[in-house]
Amino acid sequence: MELIMLLLCGGFAIVTSLMVIFAKNTIHSALWMVASFFFMAVLYLLLRAEFIAILQIIVYAGAIMMFIIYAIMMLNIRQEEGEKAPVRKSKVVGVVALLVLFLELLVVAVNKGVLAMHGPITDQLMQKYGQIAVLSNFLFSDYLLAFELASILLTAGVVGAVVLAKQKQ
Amino acid sequence: MVAYQNLYMALAVVLFIIGAIGAITRRNAIVVFMCIEIMLGAVNLLFITFSRANQSLDGIFMVLFVMAVAAAEAAVGLAIFILMYRKKGTINVESFNLMKW
Amino acid sequence: MFDKVWLIPIFPIIGVLINGLLGRRIEEINKDIVHWVACVAVGLSFVLTCVLFFQMLGLPPDQRLYEFTWFDWISGGVLHTYVAYQIDPLSMMMCMFVTGVGFLIHVYSIGYMYHEEGRYYRFFTYLNLFMFSMINLILANNYLLLFLGWEGVGLCSYLLIGFWFSEEANAIAGKKAFITNRVGDFGFILGLLLLYTQLGAHGVWSLQFSEVFPHVHLLSPSMATAICLLLFVGCTAKSAQIPLYVWLPDAMAGPTPVSALIHAATMVTSGVYMIARSNILYSLSPFAMGVVATFGALTAIFAASIGLVQNDIKKVLAYSTVSQLGYMFLGLGVGAFAAGMFHVLTHAFFKALLFLGSGSVIHAMHHGLHKVHSHADAQDMRNMGGLKDKTPITYVTFLIATLAIAGIPGFSGFFSKDEILWQTYAHGHFVLWLIGAVAAGMTAFYMFRLVFMTFFNECRAPDGAAEHLHESPKSMTVPLMILAFLAAVGGYLGVPKALGGNNRIEHFLEPVMGLGPEKLLKKAGAAMAGGAHHLAEAAHGAAEHAAAAGHAVAGHAAAMAEHAGAHHSLFAEYLLMGISVAIALIGIFIAYTMYIRKRELPAKLAESFPFLYRLLLNKWYVDELYELVVIKPIHGFSQLLWKGVDVAIVDGTVNGVARVVGWFSGVIRYLQSGYVQSYAVSVVLGTVVLIIYYFIKALS
Repeated sequence: MELIMLLLCGGFAIVTSLMVIFAKNTIHSALWMVASFFFMAVLYLLLRAEFIAILQIIVYAGAIMMFIIYAIMMLNIRQEEGEKAPVRKSKVVGVVALLVLFLELLVVAVNKGVLAMHGPITDQLMQKYGQIAVLSNFLFSDYLLAFELASILLTAGVVGAVVLAKQKQ
Repeated sequence: MVAYQNLYMALAVVLFIIGAIGAITRRNAIVVFMCIEIMLGAVNLLFITFSRANQSLDGIFMVLFVMAVAAAEAAVGLAIFILMYRKKGTINVESFNLMKW
Repeated sequence: MFDKVWLIPIFPIIGVLINGLLGRRIEEINKDIVHWVACVAVGLSFVLTCVLFFQMLGLPPDQRLYEFTWFDWISGGVLHTYVAYQIDPLSMMMCMFVTGVGFLIHVYSIGYMYHEEGRYYRFFTYLNLFMFSMINLILANNYLLLFLGWEGVGLCSYLLIGFWFSEEANAIAGKKAFITNRVGDFGFILGLLLLYTQLGAHGVWSLQFSEVFPHVHLLSPSMATAICLLLFVGCTAKSAQIPLYVWLPDAMAGPTPVSALIHAATMVTSGVYMIARSNILYSLSPFAMGVVATFGALTAIFAASIGLVQNDIKKVLAYSTVSQLGYMFLGLGVGAFAAGMFHVLTHAFFKALLFLGSGSVIHAMHHGLHKVHSHADAQDMRNMGGLKDKTPITYVTFLIATLAIAGIPGFSGFFSKDEILWQTYAHGHFVLWLIGAVAAGMTAFYMFRLVFMTFFNECRAPDGAAEHLHESPKSMTVPLMILAFLAAVGGYLGVPKALGGNNRIEHFLEPVMGLGPEKLLKKAGAAMAGGAHHLAEAAHGAAEHAAAAGHAVAGHAAAMAEHAGAHHSLFAEYLLMGISVAIALIGIFIAYTMYIRKRELPAKLAESFPFLYRLLLNKWYVDELYELVVIKPIHGFSQLLWKGVDVAIVDGTVNGVARVVGWFSGVIRYLQSGYVQSYAVSVVLGTVVLIIYYFIKALS
């Protein structure tokens, strides 16, 4: 069952991602992107990361993609510009290098032995308390500093975005 | 212990490479940006896989903060795109090569 | 009151600050303020020096030493140097006449330089700065502060020689003086460093006189000789001795008051002062003393011989200065330190007077020639003559100075020069005495030649300029008269015993320098023996040597004293006095014959001895010799270093590196395309390589 779901969702994720990079229309790319995020979320669920799966849908598919679509509409971009320009040599080199990297990483991914470490967060623990309770316990104790820093980062991001995009009077 | 761990890893590799190819080849800055989000998603998948395999929460928290950073990045990045568009009337990344010799 | 000694150098430096920083404005407002500031500053120093001097006279002779530490100067490691001043008979005597003569020359400069528009203030700034440096040199209680003053006076000398720098010859003369002095200073610095390190090896890390001199007997004789000779190299430059005297005659390019103040009366005697100050050190090295005496005597006769034929009034006086300085070193070298200092004192009076008198003559000539728009040389004696009636005060005062320098009994020069010659003879240096006596005859000749050519006979000034010649203003004649008085009676400070005096100067300076090398050697020998005994107490055996050496020195000293005593008789002294007076009179007589009675004689003589005449006229071709032996090779070598080493190798390397980097950068700058995606490709490539590396590492 899990294998079927994995192959199905993984396959769809790959296909939608490919559509993102091959779609001519930017808005189509963005919509394929949303679909890709949904399949990713299913994969997270298969890995028992419910909280992340929900965040993926709410934050990525909901907020960030809305942002992007909004920007596309604002800039009114349909076709990619400079379509007829010659392909830069560095891009060819880059694609070849990425294919080599792909083979390398695939060798690693396939040959990597299955990890079977025994950490403190067992499935029993998760089932007993629920993942969100366990996560928040850690988030507000061990990871408190990182959490606060992330909030500062987000604030700075918002301020920066406003300053940058503000129309000069 | 994760079932089909190698399969998840391979999937993450495929997604990552797809995203990277898009980021390198596409000219539209917004598409490049989305491709980078695909790469981030691939890495997130890998994190969650390892997190579960190691029976640890570290990977999940990593993903959490990656998301936070991605959100901030999106905000600033899109503001920059708007600025670029205002300056040059395009967001074709090949039109922007001021930072050179 | 002694602790107010720091005020002496402070006054001139205040003058420097006022005139140097605000002088241009002040001069625009009122020229008189400039010279008032400068003269009052030096005058106050002089008054304060007098006060301290007389206060010191009130003390018993063995307590006439006071050291005043003003503030820390350099403190690092074992070296502690203070800006500290020393009051003792030697420094106070020097300070007295430096500030006194300096003050008179400041006053004189008012009249002489008043027509200088726009740089009047600069002249007085330099003069004040010179006074400050000179006072530091004299009052310093350590070698380092002395050296500061030593360099300071050299700088002022340079600035003032080139005062009229818009004419190239003057600027060149300034540079010559400066560079020649640098050569000497180099020796001086080496001497100081050697002294410092050698004494340091014995645990005395100090350059303070009061710590150096009680310990100099620790130095090995060869070291003492080396130090003395190196210090003497500094003196040959500063005090214009062979072989570094060449700058002084050229230094006459400066304004005449400067020639009087710096290049005759004060600065050039600083070498004499330094050796007199270091007399204990020099007494340790008979060889160095002999070198000093020999160079002094040679300089005396050498410069005098050049002076015989010069036609420029200031050049004659310049060579006369060099010659007189030679006498002083002769005195120092034979161990008659007090006699040398005595000659410094009298020389300061009469030579300052001679220069100021010549300045007055030049001033008159200049005005006269200016009136008739003639471009004749105002300093050439061939254009003068008959000035006796036009400038009577200058004439009388000048004559007094001439009598003094010629050594006519009753005038100051007689007592001091005769003392030096007598001491030379008494110490058994017959040849040096003979050289000195002949030089004295030459001195008398060229000085009276100068007087006869300038003041007697008919006036040879061209274009009727003679009618416009007149006496100089009061501010110039009054200093002349004061100096004439001093030049006449200054000698009575040191009337020798043979003439019924009691040689006051010698007694006055006795606490500082004793009575010649005998006593000093005895003292040093005793101290050495004493020191050796101390050592012996601490470490037996090893000190035996030193003790023996100490006794040997003491014994040598005693023998020398006996040797001197054997020759010492009143009859010999009278005889020598008579001889030198006779020589001087002969010189005057020849001058009288040649320049008053048979005036065609000089030309005839020049014709019959053309080689000798040309040799003397061209100053023995020393400048040309230096050009050939020193300057040309250095110039050639410098050219080689410039073109061969600096341009080819050093610059070549630097430029080569720059060119390689530039070429390489030109090649790889295309990587910096400015396209973000190219950079991303670089990242990918780097990752690929990195992972390949890990593969290889995992496989092997």
